Amino acid sequence: MTQLQQKFYKMTSCERRRDQERCRTEAKLQESVFHGTCTTMCPISEVQRREEQRQLHRFEMKRGTEQERYPRADLSRTVKEYSRPAAGKDKIRACDLRPPDVLFKTVCYLVDEIVASPTLQPWTEVYSFVFDRLRSVRQDMIIQCVSGQECVAVLERIVRFHLYASYRLCGEPLQLYDPYINNTHLQECLSRLLECYSKGQYDHQEEFQALSLLYNLGSTTTLQHALELPESVRLSSPVQLALEVNRAYIERNPVRLLRLARKLDFMQACALHRHLISCRKDLLMIYSHGYSSRNCRFPIQKLADLLFLDSSLALQLCQTHGIEVKGDYVVFSKTSFSESMCKELQCTQMHKLVDDKQPDNSLCSIIHGTA
Amino acid sequence: MLITVLPQHHTSFLRAFQAHKEENWALSLMFAVTLDLRIFANNAEQQLQKKGKGKVGDMLEKAAEQLMSCFRVCASDNRAGIDDSKKWGMLFLVNQLFKIYFKINKLHLCKPLIRAIDSSNLKDDYSMAQRVTYKYYVGRKAMFDSDFKLAEEYLSFSFQHSHRSCKRNKRLVLIYLLPVKMLLGHMPTNLLLKKYDLLQFADVTKAVGEGNLLLLNEALAKHETFFIRCGIFLILEKLKIITYRNLFKKVYLLLKTHQLPLDAFLVALKMMQVEDVDIDEVQCILVNLIYMGHIKGYISHQHQKLVVSKQNPFPSLSSVS
Repeated sequence: MTQLQQKFYKMTSCERRRDQERCRTEAKLQESVFHGTCTTMCPISEVQRREEQRQLHRFEMKRGTEQERYPRADLSRTVKEYSRPAAGKDKIRACDLRPPDVLFKTVCYLVDEIVASPTLQPWTEVYSFVFDRLRSVRQDMIIQCVSGQECVAVLERIVRFHLYASYRLCGEPLQLYDPYINNTHLQECLSRLLECYSKGQYDHQEEFQALSLLYNLGSTTTLQHALELPESVRLSSPVQLALEVNRAYIERNPVRLLRLARKLDFMQACALHRHLISCRKDLLMIYSHGYSSRNCRFPIQKLADLLFLDSSLALQLCQTHGIEVKGDYVVFSKTSFSESMCKELQCTQMHKLVDDKQPDNSLCSIIHGTA
Repeated sequence: MLITVLPQHHTSFLRAFQAHKEENWALSLMFAVTLDLRIFANNAEQQLQKKGKGKVGDMLEKAAEQLMSCFRVCASDNRAGIDDSKKWGMLFLVNQLFKIYFKINKLHLCKPLIRAIDSSNLKDDYSMAQRVTYKYYVGRKAMFDSDFKLAEEYLSFSFQHSHRSCKRNKRLVLIYLLPVKMLLGHMPTNLLLKKYDLLQFADVTKAVGEGNLLLLNEALAKHETFFIRCGIFLILEKLKIITYRNLFKKVYLLLKTHQLPLDAFLVALKMMQVEDVDIDEVQCILVNLIYMGHIKGYISHQHQKLVVSKQNPFPSLSSVS
C-alpha cells in the first residue's frame, strides 16, 4: 500500500467516525423538537458571512453602499437564503432558526415589499429572489415541525405566489424561469397545505381545494381527494365550480370548459392557465373530426367565440394546426389537423382570458388573498 | 411498547432468513411473520388514529419498509436452481405491500413491484390464490391509470379464478370489473348484481343502457358514498359519454333520417333536465362522439344538421373502445 493510500484510508475511517457521531447527534435532535430563537429575517451570523463573502442580493444591500467593494447589509431587508442540507455542515443552531411569528413576518415582507414593489425590476429577478427566500422559510418550518394555523398562513401565500408566477412568467426564457421547477415546488406546497387542512378547520380551505383541482386538471388523485372531502367543503361553490371544470375536461367538452373558465376569479384562472393551450388544441382536434366534410364551412368568428380568442388569433391558431381557412370560413378536415404547435404562437398571446380578470388592486392583496 | 418490539423481532427473523443462503424452507415462516406484521401494523394504526396520535399511515409505512427488506432478500436470490429459490416468496410479499400501498394511497409505489413480477419467469407458476390477488390489485391500478383494456383483462382473470366459495372476494373484484366492463360496452345482468349483492349498480346499468341521463345522475347521487368509498365514482361518471351516445341513438331511431337537426338533440338533453346546455355545447358533445368513433358522420354548420352514415351510424360499443 502506498503512503498516499494509507493516508486516504486513515482519512476515510476518521470521517466515518465523525459521520457516526453526527448521526447520533441528529437522532438526539429529532427527539426534541426545535424552537428557533432568531428574531430577525436573517440570522446575524449569516448576515456577516454574506457581507464578507459579498453574497448579498442587491435587494438586501444598504442603500448607498451598493457600489462599494463590500456592500453593507440592510438588516431590515436581508432575508435568510436557502441552503441545501448537506453532509459536513455544522449542526443546526436554534439561533439560526426563525420561530413561526418571524417566519410569517418574513413572508409578509417578501410579499409587500418585494413581490408587489413597483420599482424592483425585472420581475424575473424578483421571482428568483422571493422563490429562494420562501424556500428557506419552508425549510425553517419543516425543521421546527411548525403546523396548524401558522403553517397554513405561510403556505397559502407561498402557493398563491407560485401560481401567480406560473402565469406571469409564462413564456420567459428557461434560464430566467423554469416552469418545471416552479411546478415541483408548487405541488410540494399544495400537498403540505392539503395535509394541514385534513387535520383542522381553516378559513381558506375551499379556495385552495378549488385551486388544487384547477391546477391539476383531470388528475385522478386530486379528484378522488376532492370527492373524499367533508361535505361542507366539497359542496362549497368554489369547489363545485372547480369540479364542474374537471367534469367538462373528463367529458372532453372544451366548449363548456372555456365557458366555465370565464366564471373563475383571477387566482383560479392563473391555476387553470397552463391547461388552456391544450384545451384549445383539443377543441380544434375534435372539431376537425366532427366537421370533416369538404362542402362544409364553419365561420371563423363563431370558432373564435368558442375558443374565447380574437378572430385574428383564432386564425393563427388554426393555421399552426394545419387547418385550412378560406376568407371568413374554416374548412375542417380530419386529415389535415396536425398536433404540433409552432413556436411563433405563444401562450402569452392568448392570455386575455386571465388578463381580463386581474383586479385593479395591488399584487400584494392578491397574494395575501384579500383581493 | 409492543409497537417497537415487533419490528425488532422481524429484523432478527430477517437476519436469520438472509443467512440461509442455499435454501428456502423458511419461506412459509416468512409468510406467517410478514402477514402478522402487516395486520399488527394495521391495528396499531387504527388505535393511534382513534387516540388522535401519530401521522396517518406512519405505522403501515414502517411495516412496508420491513416487507421491502424481505422482498429484497427474496429478489436477490440469484441461484440457478429454481426449486429452492427464495424468489418463490416474491409474489406473496408484493401482495402484502399492495395492500398497504392501496390503504395509504401511494399507488405510485406499486410500479417497481409490478415491474419485478412482470419480468420474473415464475410469474405464471405462483399459487393461484396469490396470482388472483396480484391481478386484482394490478387491475385496480390500471383502472386508476385509465388503462381500461388492461384493467379488464386483469380483473377478469381475478374474477374467473377466484375460488367458487369466496363470494366475498368475487364481489370485491366485481366492484371494479363492472365499471370497466360497462365503459367497454358490456352491461351486467340484474341476476349477477343480485347474486353478489351489488344492486347499487342496477340503476346505473339501466340508465346507461337506456341513455337516460336523468336516471344516471340520480343513481350516482343516490349511492354516492358507496361509489366514492370504493374509488369508482370517477369511472362511473365517465359512463356519461356512453349515455349520451345511447340517448342520441334514440333520437336517430325516432327521426328515421340520416340528416338530423341539431335542435332535436338539444330537446333530448332538456328532456333529461340537462338545463345549462345550448346548441354550441350540443355540437361539442356530438363532435366528441364522432371523434371517439361512437357516431359515424359529420356536422354541417350551415344546415345545423348532423349527417350520419347510411351504414351503421352508431357502431356497437365493444367495436369502438
